[in-house]
Amino acid sequence: MKNLERWKEKIELDDLNADEREIFNQMGMGKSSRRKFVKKVSAASLSIWASSYFSSELYANSVTDFSEKPWKLLNAVKVNFQVNDTSKTLTLDSRMSLLDALRERLTLTGTKKGCDHGQCGACTVIIDGKRNLSCLTLAATCEGKKITTVEGFASNGEMHPMQKAFLKHDGFQCGYCTPGQICSSIALLEEAKNGEASYVTEDIKNFQSDLKLSEEEIRERMSGNICRCGAYNNIVLAFKEVHSGDDEMPTWEFATQEQMDNAKNA
Amino acid sequence: MTKTLNTSGVGEAINRVEGHLKVTGKAKYASEFPVENKVYGQGINSTIAKGEIISIDTSEAEKLEGVLKVITYRNAEKLKTFEGERPQIATDSIAPVLQSNKVHYYGEYIGLVVAETFEQAQYAASLVKFEYKEDAAAVINFEKSKSKAYTPDNGSNYSRGNMDKGLSEADMVVEQTYNTPIEHHHPMELHATIASWDNGKVLAYASQQIVEDAIIAISGTFQIPKKDVRVVSAFVGGGFGSKLNLDRHVILAVMASKMVGRPVQVTVTRTQMFTNTNMRQQNEQKMRVGAKNDGTLTALSHETLSHTSTTQEYQEPCGMVSKMLYNVPNNEVTYKLIPMNIQTPFAMRAPGEATGSFALESAMDEMAWKLKMDPLEFRIKNDTQIDLHENRPFSSRLLVECLRIGADKFGWKDRKSEPRSNKKGNWLIGYGVSAASRNSPYQKSNARVILNLEEDEVHATVQMDGTDIGTGSYTIVAQTAAEYLKIPVEQVTVELGDSDFPVTPGSGGSWGAASYCNGARAACENAIKTLKNNRNIEEDEEVALVELLKKNQLTKFEAEGMAEPSAEFEKYSIFSFGANFSEVWVDKDTGIYRIKRMVNVASAGKILNPKTAYGQIIGGLTMGAGMVIAEQTHVEPNFGNFITRSFADYHVPVNLDMANTEVIFLPEEDKIANKMGIKGIGELGITSVAASITNAIFNATGKRMRSLPITPEKLIEAKVEEGVVI
Repeated sequence: MKNLERWKEKIELDDLNADEREIFNQMGMGKSSRRKFVKKVSAASLSIWASSYFSSELYANSVTDFSEKPWKLLNAVKVNFQVNDTSKTLTLDSRMSLLDALRERLTLTGTKKGCDHGQCGACTVIIDGKRNLSCLTLAATCEGKKITTVEGFASNGEMHPMQKAFLKHDGFQCGYCTPGQICSSIALLEEAKNGEASYVTEDIKNFQSDLKLSEEEIRERMSGNICRCGAYNNIVLAFKEVHSGDDEMPTWEFATQEQMDNAKNA
Repeated sequence: MTKTLNTSGVGEAINRVEGHLKVTGKAKYASEFPVENKVYGQGINSTIAKGEIISIDTSEAEKLEGVLKVITYRNAEKLKTFEGERPQIATDSIAPVLQSNKVHYYGEYIGLVVAETFEQAQYAASLVKFEYKEDAAAVINFEKSKSKAYTPDNGSNYSRGNMDKGLSEADMVVEQTYNTPIEHHHPMELHATIASWDNGKVLAYASQQIVEDAIIAISGTFQIPKKDVRVVSAFVGGGFGSKLNLDRHVILAVMASKMVGRPVQVTVTRTQMFTNTNMRQQNEQKMRVGAKNDGTLTALSHETLSHTSTTQEYQEPCGMVSKMLYNVPNNEVTYKLIPMNIQTPFAMRAPGEATGSFALESAMDEMAWKLKMDPLEFRIKNDTQIDLHENRPFSSRLLVECLRIGADKFGWKDRKSEPRSNKKGNWLIGYGVSAASRNSPYQKSNARVILNLEEDEVHATVQMDGTDIGTGSYTIVAQTAAEYLKIPVEQVTVELGDSDFPVTPGSGGSWGAASYCNGARAACENAIKTLKNNRNIEEDEEVALVELLKKNQLTKFEAEGMAEPSAEFEKYSIFSFGANFSEVWVDKDTGIYRIKRMVNVASAGKILNPKTAYGQIIGGLTMGAGMVIAEQTHVEPNFGNFITRSFADYHVPVNLDMANTEVIFLPEEDKIANKMGIKGIGELGITSVAASITNAIFNATGKRMRSLPITPEKLIEAKVEEGVVI
């Protein structure tokens, strides 16, 4: 339990990163109530509040970064890249995908493994400004590149507008495809600004920048990110809000008493 | 209980309370816990459908740098194995693996490589060589093996009245067969675990829907006490039934950890998701429907032929809907199973209803067409408030309201009753309707609430071993606690998915919401009751929770609660009901079709949070649309392997496939179902969607599509029904 205590101290010392601070702030927990809260948290629930610091009697130590562990690697490659504005140097197996480097070596598990075949989009990250599938990107090819993952969008304790929109419009359920959907959506904002065409673009001769994407365009351009829970309609609404300021909400309603009476007596 | 202002109690459309963690990448799924010293396991799959392993060469794999162990049946730990012939698969079934040299299906686990890194394990797994003695008697071809079908001895066959009499009284008879293929759940999160064995104690971070049953399965398979097993399943990246029971990768990881002395992570690959997690089996459903000219049903029979594995029995209850949905005096439901050398199927979202309602609601549409009746009115005419199967009333049944309100919203009156008469350019436009029903099996559920008072504020933590598989459990449990403790929802923390917490039935079968929330309610009510009793305060006196704790001179207080179905519950049939409407546009030359819009009406008791409930419905509609447009697992008929092995060949709906969807909830609280009036909603959405779409395709084209999925070439090749004007 030593790590749990240490973790609690860390919180009390206010040594939180921007995301963690944001989470607690969003929960209405300022500094003092946060301290109160932490005292009440049981070991298992830390998984929910402070992802990287799970503690258990069965594992002697928790760790945050496996970057320099001396494995006997086949064909080891040293690579330097920037992840979320932090420089990282890794010595890794030449076969390692960027996805596995993020998840298994840097414990940046926000980027998800959904198929490992480039077919589902869950592993989407932004590399040098463009969305990319990290499962089809060998980590060794990322020398000098700038990588942004879902953990890297919040700044100054504030979530990216796209993250807020996903939350507001319920653009997810289980949450597993969500980091990929958000990376794709944020990159798509730029693609629209740059006037990039898609499969359903009708006029590809007349180049225009600052495209206002139609619903069909949004759906097509987000079709590389599978959501098995089926939150597509809400994902479209979330994207629209950030892209065009459209504040349409999901289309559910309750039947009125009048409707109920009419139906019964029809 | 009256609602206090600003509590955001049940019924409010608040954002998901755990949502921040999901959109920032902080939510921890099973394989994401930073466990020190962990190593990686990679499963190896058989490449024959039936036979024996006669030789294994592990030498090349073992020579590789980083490889710690190659486990096969030769050195595997002894596990509990199945007793009797084909025991029924259940959510708490044991999961023996690597216990003999026998191979039962293509893709079965025959080994596991453990290595320092994932790359080493993957490569080494490809170097282990197996030789087999193949058994040519493998049963792998459904079409050619029908003579091997047996009637399962589980009491599922049913009849009332007399089918022959019912058919002889009918003016019109429809007799048709409907086919649905093997489908796979494919949650986005690959099944995964990080498991450790430490002096006989097991800890598994595992992606499971039912934590308690995972414990039972692990302890049962290893023959160790339940108390020595802990399972943590804080976030589950989708389940849809595939994570109901414990799959063998968890057993492999525990076994490997015992053998190498370090925690072992095993992630099932997307290709292995086809063979080493659950699937929905192929169903051939023969329907016979008899009706009078005025639309009165006289007879209905529903015969299902499907398959199970050679080691375990599973039978999807496809005929359930036919027993209870309509007022038909003569009714028969039968099942037959072919034991095949394919893995054991198990429950996939709305097992029975999703597939059974496709057959029933298609046949109903066919009958309405033959009778020249509006399919909506035909259904309403045969409504019943009594469950004729159980011979007891429904606790509430608002199916007619669902159909009528949905018809108004959808604009059903604009439907052209003659197929092929609504055209726009090259498009043929059709409207379809179907009725939905889904059992709402609320179960016994426990919860703990911990109250903390500090600086005039009460914070509550609710704990239970229930899970949130995307269903919104975190949120609705928080709202329940806010409601019953009368504190703002921001002051509630919910902790789920840990076997150290009180036992619940887990997530599955549409029982989660009612069970979890009533358990949480009971814990909160017990807390308040005890605090009041201790200070001799009348139970109906309104005292704020802060004051109650102060009067008790407590800063911390803990209470547990349990909720379970009442005696009243047993006297009724408790189902959620719904209606689906869809508009489909079919290109008359290419057979390409688009689902343009859908309206769904759901009568599912108290809606705890319309935002998350809407998610459940549109999710169901999406998966239901998938049944029609694409989903199909192909079995190679000579070798028995699946030839759909990735998302490139097993297509699921993507964003562009889906249409705008309007969902209407009926204002309903079913207090017979449980004290909070909650019924299930997680599976209602997928029920009968397929029929609504195929009925719309008939209305558009005059073609009856009785075999899913419907690809454009199938649609082009299909013949227009007799009697349709071209």
